[in-house]
Amino acid sequence: MEFLPQIMISGAQVGCIYAMMALSYFIILSATGILNFAQGEWMMLSAVLGVVLLALGLPYPIAILVSVAATVAVCQFFEWSVIRPLQRRNADMTILVVALLGILVVVRYSVGLTFGREDVPIPGAFEPTPIILGSSAFIQPQTLVIYVATALTFGALWLFLQRTWFGRSFRIAAIDPIGAQVVGVNLARIRFSSFAIGAAIAAILGWLYAPLYAAGYGIGAAPGVKGFIALLVGGVGSPWGSLAGGMLLGLFEVATAYYVGSLWSEGIGFALLMVFLIFWPSGLLGGMRGR
Amino acid sequence: MSTLQTRSGRKTVEAAPSRRLMIWTAVFVVAAMLPIVAGPSYYVTVLINLLIRLPFTLSLSYVIGRLGLFTMAHSAFLGIGAYVAAILAQRYGVNPWLTLPASVAASAAVAAFIGFAVLRLKGLFLAVSTLAFALFIEVLVRQSEITGGAYGITDIPPLTIAGTPIRGILFYELALAALALTVILFWNIKNSPFGRAGTAAQDNEHAAAAAGINVARVRIAGFTLSAAVAGLSGWLYAFYHLTVNPFLFSLDLTFVALFMVLIGGLGSMVGVAIGTTLLSLGPELIGFATTQQVLASGVLVLIVVLLAPRGIGGLINEFNSRKAWRKDGDVRSSVTPAA
Repeated sequence: MEFLPQIMISGAQVGCIYAMMALSYFIILSATGILNFAQGEWMMLSAVLGVVLLALGLPYPIAILVSVAATVAVCQFFEWSVIRPLQRRNADMTILVVALLGILVVVRYSVGLTFGREDVPIPGAFEPTPIILGSSAFIQPQTLVIYVATALTFGALWLFLQRTWFGRSFRIAAIDPIGAQVVGVNLARIRFSSFAIGAAIAAILGWLYAPLYAAGYGIGAAPGVKGFIALLVGGVGSPWGSLAGGMLLGLFEVATAYYVGSLWSEGIGFALLMVFLIFWPSGLLGGMRGR
Repeated sequence: MSTLQTRSGRKTVEAAPSRRLMIWTAVFVVAAMLPIVAGPSYYVTVLINLLIRLPFTLSLSYVIGRLGLFTMAHSAFLGIGAYVAAILAQRYGVNPWLTLPASVAASAAVAAFIGFAVLRLKGLFLAVSTLAFALFIEVLVRQSEITGGAYGITDIPPLTIAGTPIRGILFYELALAALALTVILFWNIKNSPFGRAGTAAQDNEHAAAAAGINVARVRIAGFTLSAAVAGLSGWLYAFYHLTVNPFLFSLDLTFVALFMVLIGGLGSMVGVAIGTTLLSLGPELIGFATTQQVLASGVLVLIVVLLAPRGIGGLINEFNSRKAWRKDGDVRSSVTPAA
């Protein structure tokens, strides 16, 4: 029981990571109905580019900006060259999924071939000295960065979706794409923008994740899947679903690691997914209306 | 041969099977003679790896193309088949031949179990759920004692017949026989009520249900069947390479197989065979997937998806249809625009 504060801290940290990943899926899924597999790879790409840029001597904030922008650019390239033509001819879901997998594979292994297969460390925003809290808990500064960044991202996205005209058109496109077109919403532009926003969120996540774990060509794989589990568990109806699902998954995972063992902490994600699929398929906060 | 236009693409229906049967038989006979004539060499190794892989991709093509279930757990079923064979033969001293039913049954059982929960999902959600399952199995296998952890199991006793271990050309014939059985299986399914029920369920679930098809049961049955064939591939793998390791569960394998299936054309057996052969014989084949191979297949699949979405099988169908149309202007086999 004395581990509880530490479990909460670590669980919330992991939870934020999954929540951000889930959010990047969510924004694309709700605006276009496409579940973009390659999101994890954008996280990886931005982290790897970050390592390169920092090695080239760029100051930390500039490196973040450049790597996020570059990642979004790469994502938009694929959106334009692959997704757009497929959407235009109303391709089968199967073909779309395989195309997304193709993008995932191309990005991941190009990076692997270009930059090598090792994982490299990347520094966080602050000195990694842990801050001691009370008798049995400590927190890394990077963890605080993660909390703040997650809160800011969710807040900003909420403002966007609720308070801006463009953001509201995202929601309309999610609820009823045909009706949205009738009132003049440009679905192609929404798809383009949602991909960009999703990639940006994933790219920012890269800078949150990599300092605590590592940067390498394979880091996108596991968080990518966990992000999807978080999305499904929390519900695809609203961005808060991503947050709820992410937190639930993160806390479960960390608690399982402490009390049962790290083998099962990997498995808990899948077990959670199965339970929700069978008993609660629309997730904690409910599914989408209409779609 | 006539082509039906269904919502999920053009499906071929056999009107006169006997000529096709002769061609297939000829192909298999030639294939069987090949290594005997050519002699043992590096090429036999490459061909054996191809033969092991073909039932795997054929079953994947069946479940995705004819049932409409996009599964990414296929390599997990291959791995389960391989590991069950390895564990029983190496750790418990079971006669290698007896591990065959065990491998196939194990894969099928796991598939049925997962299927109940996961097959109710559609499209992308099914895909990622099966992906999560595959990752979970990989982690499980990597950590467990009984599976040899990250190193896997080595020194698997080979199959023997009359005292001689089955390797090289003998194994080639065995793998070819397994492939022949797989082809016969899927061919019969394609033209059977069960197969048509699956396609009907894929095209329009509600109409199929209204026609009396038990959609859930057809899906679970088909999924289980394809997993069983994947288990067969795994069994072959285990007794050829005589070692198994967690790499079998890696998603690289599934991705490459998916790409082979798509490049070959969903539901088209010949196309998938060609696609698999093309992608397997490319770089030299030591393992199942190297980085460059996966990357190349990824690029290739993007090209195919954009330029020829029905894959090689689709191109073959196009070619056949045009030939028939030009030959006698028969309305039944006229060309409909490609997607």
